[in-house]
Amino acid sequence: MIPPMIRDATIFSCLLALLSTGLTLTYMTTKVPNFAHGSFAAMTTYITLILVRILKTNPYFSMGLGFILGGIIALALYQVILKPLLDRGASYIVLMIATIAYDMILYSLINILADYLTKTYKIPTTLYILKSYDFRVFHQPCIFIVAPVTAILVIIFLYLLLTKTRFGIAMRAAIENPALAGVVGINVNLTYAASWFIAGGLAGVAGALLPLWLMCNPDIGGRLIVSVFAASIVGGLTNIYGAFLGGILIGMAEVLGTGYLSLTIGTWIAPYRPIIPLVIMAVTLLFAPQGLTGIGLKFLKRRSGEK
Amino acid sequence: MIPLALTFIIDLLALLGIFIIISLSLNIEFGYAGIPNFGKLLAVAGGAFFIGAVPGRVLAYVYGLLEKYDYVDQNVEVMYALGKILGVNPFMSMAMLVVSLILAAAVGAILGFIASYPAIRLREDYLAITLLAMAEILRTIGYNYKDLIGGTVGISVPDPFRWIGGELRLALATSVIMAVAVIIFIYVELLSRSPIGRTLRAMRDNEVVAEAYGKDIVKLRMKTLMIGSAIGAIGGALYAFLSGSVTAWGYDRVYYTFWPWVMVVIGGAANNFGVLLGATLFVTLRKLIIFYKSNLQPYLPFDVVWLEYLLLGTALLIVLIYRPEGIIPEKPTHTLSKKRLEKIKEFVEAKEA
Repeated sequence: MIPPMIRDATIFSCLLALLSTGLTLTYMTTKVPNFAHGSFAAMTTYITLILVRILKTNPYFSMGLGFILGGIIALALYQVILKPLLDRGASYIVLMIATIAYDMILYSLINILADYLTKTYKIPTTLYILKSYDFRVFHQPCIFIVAPVTAILVIIFLYLLLTKTRFGIAMRAAIENPALAGVVGINVNLTYAASWFIAGGLAGVAGALLPLWLMCNPDIGGRLIVSVFAASIVGGLTNIYGAFLGGILIGMAEVLGTGYLSLTIGTWIAPYRPIIPLVIMAVTLLFAPQGLTGIGLKFLKRRSGEK
Repeated sequence: MIPLALTFIIDLLALLGIFIIISLSLNIEFGYAGIPNFGKLLAVAGGAFFIGAVPGRVLAYVYGLLEKYDYVDQNVEVMYALGKILGVNPFMSMAMLVVSLILAAAVGAILGFIASYPAIRLREDYLAITLLAMAEILRTIGYNYKDLIGGTVGISVPDPFRWIGGELRLALATSVIMAVAVIIFIYVELLSRSPIGRTLRAMRDNEVVAEAYGKDIVKLRMKTLMIGSAIGAIGGALYAFLSGSVTAWGYDRVYYTFWPWVMVVIGGAANNFGVLLGATLFVTLRKLIIFYKSNLQPYLPFDVVWLEYLLLGTALLIVLIYRPEGIIPEKPTHTLSKKRLEKIKEFVEAKEA
C-alpha cells in the first residue's frame, strides 16, 4: 500500500519537473524568464476538461492535444513578440514585461473560455477536479503511473535529442554561441523556435495531466509559476537536467514538507505551503547561486582532480 | 448633494492618486535606477497591512477598548466604538492619518531593505523573480496569519475621514490622496534632477562605468529600493484608508505589480510626466469599462473584466514593439541654467582671487 502523501508528492513533482524543464529550455535560448509559462499549462487544463466533460472521451487524449496547443502558444510568443523585440536589441527587462503582457492576454482568454463553457454547457469551470474520471490500474489511479513515466520519457527524449541528433547538437551550439552557430550555417532562429515549441509543449502536457489530480482554476498558472521559477532557479537556470531535478526536489519538498510539518507542528502550517519553494529558492540563491548543477559539477571536478 | 458625474470624477481621482503614487515609486526603481522590481506588491501590501494591523490596535488600546473586545474577532464592535470617538474628533483623526502614513513609509523602507538584502547582489533577472517571490510570501502570511489582519475575512480600518460626514467623506479622502500624490510627484521630480538622480541613471545605463567612477552599486540599489518601497507603502496605506478595510487576498500581483508596470511602460519610463499620463490613461480606461459594464455585458458571453485584461495586455505589447520608450520618452538630463553656471564661475573666480 502506497501512502497517499507519497502519491501526492510523486505526481506533483513530476508535473512540476515537466514545467521547470520547459522554462529552463526557453530561458537558455532567449535569456528571458518567461512569466507566461504557467498560463501555457493553465490553458491546456481546459482541453482535458472539454475532452472529459463535453466530448466524454479518454482524458489522456489531451496529452497529445495539450502538447500541440502549448507548443503553438509558446511558439507564438517567441515568433510574434519576443523575436521582433530581440531583433531590435530590446533589454531583457522589456522582454520580461512582454511575457507578462502575453500572460495577461492568455489569462483573459482562459477566463473567457471558462465563462463561455459554463454558460454554454453548464459545467463547472472554476475550482474543478477530474479525479473521478481517471482510470484505475493495479488498484492505483492511472495518473500515478502516467505522470512519472511521462516525466522520465521526456527527459530521456530530451537527452537523446540534444546529444544524439544533428538538430539537437545544432540547438546546443545556437544556445552556446548564437553568432558562431550562425556563421557555420546553423539556422539559429529555427533552433530557438523549436526550443520554444518543445518547452510550451511540455507545459501543455503538464497542464493536461493537472486536473486529473489537482484542483484547477483559471488562475492556476499564476499560482504554479512561483514554484516553477523556484524549481528552475534551484536547478541553476542553465541546465535542463538541473531544472528537472529542481522540479522533483521542489515538488517533494512542497508536498512532503507541508505534510510532515503539519503532522509535527500542527495543521495550521498547511496553508503556508507556497512559502516552502520560495524559502528553498532564497537559500539556493544565497549559498549556491549557480543552483544544484553548479554544486554537482564542482564536487565532481574536485573528486576527479584528486584521482 | 453631489451630482453623479462629480462622484464619478472624485472616485476616479482617488484611485488615480493612489496609482500615481505607486507608479511613481516604480519609476524611481525601474525608470531611473533600472531595477526590475516585480515585487511592487510587497511594498504596497506592506503599507496596507500595516494600516490594517497597527493604527486601529493603538487607538483601541488608548481608549481602553482592548479590555472589552478581542481586536480581530470582535473587529466590528471595536470599529463601531472607534468610529464614534473619531467621528467627533477631527484633530485626532488627522493626527492618526499623518502618523500612520509616516510609519507606513518606514515599514515600506524596512521591507525594501529586507527584500533587497539577499537579492541585490544578484543578476537582474534573478532579482526580479526574487522580489516577486518576496511579495508572494508577505501575501501568504497576511492571508493565513489571522492575528495580523484577520486572515481570510480581512479587517476594518479606523476611518480618519469620518468626522466630515456623509458625502463629503469621499471628497476629503480624495483631496488628501491628491495632496500626497502632488507632494510625492514634486519629490520624485526633484530627486530625478538631483545628483543622485543622475547617478541612478548612470548606474542604469552602464553599471561598470558607474562603479569605475566610485559609485557603490549595491548601496545605491538598496537605497533606491528603500525609497521606492517607502513611497509604494504610502500608496498602499492610503488605499487601505480609502477603502476602509484590508483583505490580504485583495492585494494581488496583477493589480499592484503588473498594472503599475503597464502605466510606467506605456506612459514612458524615466519621465514622471509620462508616468502621470500612463496612470491617467489606465485608470480612466478601467473606470470607464467598469462604468459601462452593465451596458456592455449583454453583448458579451463572458465577464467584462477579462476584456479589460485583453485590451491592456495587447496595448502593452503594441507599445513595447512599436514605441518601447513610451508615449512621452525620457528627456535628456537637466543641466544647470547658464545663469547659475555664470554665478558659480564668478564664485570660483572670486575664491581664487
